[in-house]
Amino acid sequence: MDKYKDVSPFVIIKSDVTRRSFIYTDRALGALDKSKHQYQQRVLIGSNRDKNAAVPVSLLLRDGTSIIGMPSKTAKNPYVVDQIDGKLFLTDQGEIVEEVHYWYKPDYYDKFTSSGTPMWQVASSRPQRLDIDPNSHCHFWNKGNGCKFCNINANSTQSEKECNMSKQLTAQDVYETVKEALKQPGAFTNLKMSSGSILSGAEIFDDEVDMYIEMLQAAGDNFKDKKFPSTIVASAFSEKQLAKLYENTGLMTYTSDIEIPNEALFAWICKGKHQEVGYTEWKRRIIRAVDIFGAGNVSSGIVGGCEMAQPHGFTNEDDALKAVLEEAEDFASQGVSVVHCVWVPMHGSAFHNQQNPSLEYYVRLAKGLSDLRKKYRLNIDMDNYRKCGNHPDSDLDRGNL
Amino acid sequence: MSILTENIQVLLQDSEAAKVLATVDNQGIPHIVSDNTITINDEGQIIYLELIETSRNSVNLVNSIWFKRKVAIHLSKGEESYQIKGYPAYSIICGPVFEHYYKLSLERNPEFDLSTVWIIEPDEVINDTYDARKNKEREEHPLITHLDRLAK
Ligand code: SF4
Repeated sequence: MDKYKDVSPFVIIKSDVTRRSFIYTDRALGALDKSKHQYQQRVLIGSNRDKNAAVPVSLLLRDGTSIIGMPSKTAKNPYVVDQIDGKLFLTDQGEIVEEVHYWYKPDYYDKFTSSGTPMWQVASSRPQRLDIDPNSHCHFWNKGNGCKFCNINANSTQSEKECNMSKQLTAQDVYETVKEALKQPGAFTNLKMSSGSILSGAEIFDDEVDMYIEMLQAAGDNFKDKKFPSTIVASAFSEKQLAKLYENTGLMTYTSDIEIPNEALFAWICKGKHQEVGYTEWKRRIIRAVDIFGAGNVSSGIVGGCEMAQPHGFTNEDDALKAVLEEAEDFASQGVSVVHCVWVPMHGSAFHNQQNPSLEYYVRLAKGLSDLRKKYRLNIDMDNYRKCGNHPDSDLDRGNL
Repeated sequence: MSILTENIQVLLQDSEAAKVLATVDNQGIPHIVSDNTITINDEGQIIYLELIETSRNSVNLVNSIWFKRKVAIHLSKGEESYQIKGYPAYSIICGPVFEHYYKLSLERNPEFDLSTVWIIEPDEVINDTYDARKNKEREEHPLITHLDRLAK
């Protein structure tokens, strides 16, 4: 931290906790109040959790920064969340690092839709965002070409089997859950939808677009105006598909993840995306979305650090960072923000045995991406610290005017 | 236990009192806002409700919590005047405390869309009345005065 005095220490802590993971002491787990805190959550990538285990879904720091991560029993050098004098702290080798809080549970979480679906399975909640993932199955996996860092289908298959959690949501359940969620004053500032890629249709992704239109319309029926603060994290749609989506729904912003901003590594790590669409076309489509949604309203996510996955990734952090930031600058100069999450080699993904880069790499990456937004005057209100919380770089933007 | 005396706590709860919050940006340029809704919680910490997420004040508070920079609050009513310096300790954007103040600000004005509940931990209190400041100076620097004031 001494070396990066101009970078928020909260963001540095978040990055390190995510990359090294964390565990809870029994005392800290005892502080979880099931009536107040979230301990169940539906997520696309990661783990939907064991329905019987009461483990907090995530952490919040004093400045409102989220740490989106899961405790890992196999982590080699994890942080420890402990309860000391009635407060919760992140500790490292027995030393207190920072105070943390568990994520609160919104009012709708324990309710059921008219079809009997628990509402927490329809919409998960981040501190200020409603997350609705209508389809937890990615077609790229059907041909064995899922992205190597991703575990979407492994997670959704396990949840379906063990917890009877449906992979697909219905529009009626979405409508009812959003209706209920909006009754809680001040609880949400954004609605996000995401899903596994759906390749079918007359043109690739046509069915995915239709699915989003149906779901966004169902959610949108709850709002006074046609447009409402919303985003989707979806496949790279053609201009025709994007226009259809924009015209027929309340959608205001759009994200499609390039994942690995380097063509050769993309071809290896995101083999399905590369085979079906290709790196250049995937990128071109994201940039063209700016024509419809406007500069600053389109972003692309990268799995920060995954460019160092072996055996084909960069072996030198300086080279990796340079390549990533150059490509991110190309996006930014054309109105697209690049945001990163911290790559966690997850159970159920092809990269589960890999090692992510150093903390310093993540600090430089976050600063580099945030500085690019400053340089090209792109705001990231669609995906900022309070809406998503998964991007150390957009957390930093909140300190800029 | 809070370092704020009962007097000051009462003043902080008084909506008629003048309350001003001063922050600085990363270049040290000061910025002040006047807001008589600044108040105090049960733990003796100061509560400031930020309504504009992207304001200069908001960004200064964010940098203050990140880099442990003090903010100042001026508090006065009638003859009473205080300056409180403190550190932003929490930026609350969700949960029961946020929602409590969200509803409160809506009651004040249905147009208000609360961004953040800032909790400021007081660290230093200065009695800011002229009398208090002058008495202090006389005690500590007896040579600083105009002679005509001492004439018979
Ligand atoms: S496109 Fe890749 S990252 Fe997205 S859900 Fe499918 S496999 Fe996972």
